[in-house]
This record gives sequence, structure tokens and C-alpha cells, in this order.
Amino acid sequence: MYKRITELSVIIGLFFIILAVILLGGYLLTDALKFRINIVTGVAFLAFGIFMVLVKSGEEG
Amino acid sequence: MKLHVADYLVIILYFAFVVAVGFIIKKRIRSSNDFLNSSKNIPLWITSLAFISANLGAQEVLGMVASGAKYGIMTVHFYWVGAIFAMIFLGVFMMPFYYGSHARSVPEYLFLRFDEKTRGLNAITFAVMTVFSSGISLFALAKLLEVVLGWDFDVSIWIAAGIVLIYTFVGGLTSAVYNEVLQFFLIVLGLSPLVIVALQDAGGWEQVKANLDPKLTHAWQYMGSADSNPMGIHFMSLIFGLGFVMSFGYWCTDFLVVQRAMIAKNMNASQRTPILAAIPKMLMPLIVVLPGVIAIALSQPALAGKGYSIPTDAAGNMDYTMTLPSLLSHYYPSGLMGVGITALLASFMSGMAGNVTAFNSVFTYDIYQAYFVKKRSDRHYLRVGKMVTLFGILFSIGTAYIATSFNNINDFLQLVFSFVNGPLFATFLLGMFWKRTTADGAFWGLLLGTVAAAITHGCTVAEGKGGWIAELYTVSSGMGQAFIVAMVSWVVNFFTTILVSLVTKPKPDEELKGLVYSLTEKPKYTGEKWYQKVVPMAILLIILTILLNIIFF
Repeated sequence: MYKRITELSVIIGLFFIILAVILLGGYLLTDALKFRINIVTGVAFLAFGIFMVLVKSGEEG
Repeated sequence: MKLHVADYLVIILYFAFVVAVGFIIKKRIRSSNDFLNSSKNIPLWITSLAFISANLGAQEVLGMVASGAKYGIMTVHFYWVGAIFAMIFLGVFMMPFYYGSHARSVPEYLFLRFDEKTRGLNAITFAVMTVFSSGISLFALAKLLEVVLGWDFDVSIWIAAGIVLIYTFVGGLTSAVYNEVLQFFLIVLGLSPLVIVALQDAGGWEQVKANLDPKLTHAWQYMGSADSNPMGIHFMSLIFGLGFVMSFGYWCTDFLVVQRAMIAKNMNASQRTPILAAIPKMLMPLIVVLPGVIAIALSQPALAGKGYSIPTDAAGNMDYTMTLPSLLSHYYPSGLMGVGITALLASFMSGMAGNVTAFNSVFTYDIYQAYFVKKRSDRHYLRVGKMVTLFGILFSIGTAYIATSFNNINDFLQLVFSFVNGPLFATFLLGMFWKRTTADGAFWGLLLGTVAAAITHGCTVAEGKGGWIAELYTVSSGMGQAFIVAMVSWVVNFFTTILVSLVTKPKPDEELKGLVYSLTEKPKYTGEKWYQKVVPMAILLIILTILLNIIFF
């Protein structure tokens, strides 16, 4: 499990998932972030992040 | 520009991840080879993205958006003429020598092919250039944060340098490479929404074209005469100056980028690294040139209602360098603004870390080990590599402060680059493909080529620069002058190397096996699918690049 988390594709995926959480969470929680572009970008980042977490990176560690 | 808490959260998240990557990689560092060379076990997709990302520094991102606004679509020449063909040439013809010779660096290849003095000349000039380049990146980052966000210049320098130091010191080259890939995705995905919303706001590509002078929307049509296009360059100068000398000089010989292909798992992967990297490179104008073209269209009177214009400087002239930050400020709301600013930070830090890791490999292997302490334990060279990383960062900070005292230090650095990289490709071309080339020929060719570059700059003037020997010839743009300097230096190096080689003794054939084309067995790949083969992919990319040039002719 630890080995998988240290793969670059998973690291990049987690980074974009957290970015998406900030954008989507901000959209829901504060007026300052209530812009359509934040939600669209957040969803795109979330999809990309999940894809990167699931994809096999081919690293040997 | 004021940032929201969410924007700061994004920036902190990025800093936390790049540092975490360094500590994750730290567990894999056991030898100097792990630290300085990544032990050649990095997967192809990572080496390919790192290859392109090492070049995706601040000057590239901010500079190409600025050029897009200043010169229009002609800026794509830096990609579709000045990059793709050289990257393909590197992959098909040159990587077999770099990788097959087992050299750990480009200067070390010069040592194996020629001799110690040629290696020394290249290693010293490269080390100085990388430290200066890294410092300029740091200076530009701190200046941008000071102007755009009002952050303290000194604090910005020390924090950015400190973060790069942490992840390069603990994780070495692998950490820098991994972070370059993260930075690549952040830059591309962080700036993509900007292109989409700005293009939509301008009314689409057809509206952009309708509002601009046609000279700004055609890549080749107005290049028949230097006076009829915004760059002031004739197409022959572009093809030979940029497309051949400067492009091949940079992409095929600069260790900063070549190092990313040299750490691939095997010969096939090392050859395919620059070839696969050419695919995103081909599309990069969408992210870094198109915003500039859109910005200049939005600044036209017909689109004044959109409320955007390129900022002006104190003299009232357009400040093209600020085009990207001003677009971010205009189109990105809180939240996404943090992503945009972090993408800019990533480009600065990626450029800096790339330079520092290339510097520590060359300094440790080609200067310290070659000239000062030859036969010590691997542990010793690992320690030295780490110390060189620390000093490389400190030198970069020093250079960043030197840059504050000189308003044209970046121009000076670019000039030094053209002096050094311009002639270098002639040395490699002859060295790899003409076995008669001698060590003395290579050394004197390189030295005189560099001197010729300096003299050419001293005798030509462009935009008030140069002419420090005598103002013999005036060039309409600084870019045109850089092309002429590079061409002259290349020609002088090429012919000097040939002439000196003809009167000096070459190395015997046995010593040149694996180092020159005619004495090296060509790599053969069987059983792979067509897209895993080097040549078919190279041909496909050449066709696509030619098509793109035709579409935007």
C-alpha cells in the first residue's frame, strides 16, 4: 500500500484531488468562490486526479 | 491583486507536495549515482514529461505569452521550427551515443570522444550558465510576486530557494524530475481554463483573427522580407538561425534537457524520451502562445468593451512581460487564482531545480572528480553532490541579488547562452558523424566559435544593444541579432574544427567505437508495436509538425 502511495502518478492524482476539494468546497462554502469556472475546473481536476490515482505508473520504486 | 484564503491554501498545498516528494525519494538514495543520475530506472512517461518540463521555466511561460502578444502567431516558430525537429534528431541520431557511451553527462561524452580540455571548457561554461540561469529564475519569481502580489522580495527569494533546496538536497535528480512532472501538469491544467475563458470572451478564434493585423495571425506568409513581419526576420534567417543552429544547439547538447533522456531505463526509452516529449511540445503553443495573441486582440479598440488591456509601463509602452499575470488577474476568481499563481510558481521552481540538478552533476563529475579529487569512495561523491546542491542554491541566491543591480542581466545571460550553445552543436555534429574530427579540432573550433559570437555581437546593433566594438551593421530586432550571432559562431566553429582536424592526429578507430556513427552498431528493435519504435514515431511527428506549419501558414 505504501509503495503504491509513493508512485508519482498517485502523488499527482492526490494533489489534483485535494485541489478539486479546495475549489469545490470553496464554491459550496463561501460566496467569494461562487464562480462557475471554479466548479467546472474543480470537477475536471477531480476527474484527472482519480484517473491518475487509478492508472499504473510502471515504477519499480 | 489580493489573494483569498483558498488561494493561499492552494499555494501551501503545492509547497507541501513538492517537499513531500523529496522526502519520499530520499529513501531510494543510496549512492552518488542515485543522487546525481537517478540510477537510470525512471519510466519513459516520466522522463518524457520531465524532458519538456525542464524547459518549461519562467522565461518560457511568461516569455512566450509576452512574445505571443508582441509578435503574434509567429511565436509558434519556437516550437514548430525551433524545437520539434531538433528533439526528433536527438532521439533518432544522438541518444545512441549519449546513452550507449555510458557517459554520465554531456561534458563526459566530450571527454570520451575528444579529451579533457574540451570537456573542461564545456563543463565550466555550462556550470556558470546554469547557476546564473537559476538565479535569474529566482530573481524573476521574487520580482513578479513583489509587483503582482505585493510580497516582500527578500522573503520570496529565500522561501522559494529554501523549498527547491529541500527537495533537491534530500531527493537529488529523481526528486527534481518527479516534481517537474507534477509542475508540468499544474502548469498545463492550471493555465488551460484561462485560454478557454479568454478565447470565449474574445468571441472565438475567428473573432481574434478578424480584430488583428494579418501579420500577427500568420506564421510564414509575411516572412519573405524582414521588413514585412513583426519579428523583423527573413525566413532563411529563421530556418538556419533558429531552426538549425540555436534549436539543435540547445535541444541536442544542453545537458539540462539531455540529462532527462540519459536517465531512462534503456536505450529504446532514452531514444523515445525526446520523441514522446515532442507531442506535448507541439501542443504547448495552445497554453503559452495563444493567450498572448488573445491578449493583443482584446486590447484592440473593437474589443475595448471586454475591459481588458495589456498593462503599460511608466513610458506608456505595452509591458508585454505582464501579459500573463494581467490575464490571470482579469479572468481568474478567488480559488482558481491560487491555481494560476501556483502554476507560475511551479514554472519558476521547475526551471531553478532543473538548473541546480544539472549543475551538481556536471560540477561533481566533470570538474570536482575530473580535476580535483579523482579516486575516492562513492560515499564521498554523494556527500560532495549534496554540498554542491547547497552551494548551487546559495550561488543562485547571490546571482538573484546581482540581477537586482543590473536591469539588463537577463539579456546578457541570453546572449551568453547564444555564445555558448550556438557553436556547440557544430562540435557534436562533427564529433558524432565524422570520425576524422580530432580533440584539438573540437577544442579550437569551440573556442573560436565562441569568440566569433562575441565579435559578431560587438559589431552589430539591435534595439540599442551590441555594437560595443564598432557599429558596423544594424539589425531590426534583438531576436534577429541573436540568430546572426548564433549562425556566425556555428559556421566559424564548423570550419575551424574541420581545418584543425585535417592537420592533427585523430584517435584510432578502436577508441571511437560507440562514440561515432560509422563505428557504432545501430540499435535494432524487433517485436514492438509501431508506436513503440523510434523511426515510425519520428516520421509521424515530422508530418504533423509540417501540417501545423501549413495550417497556420
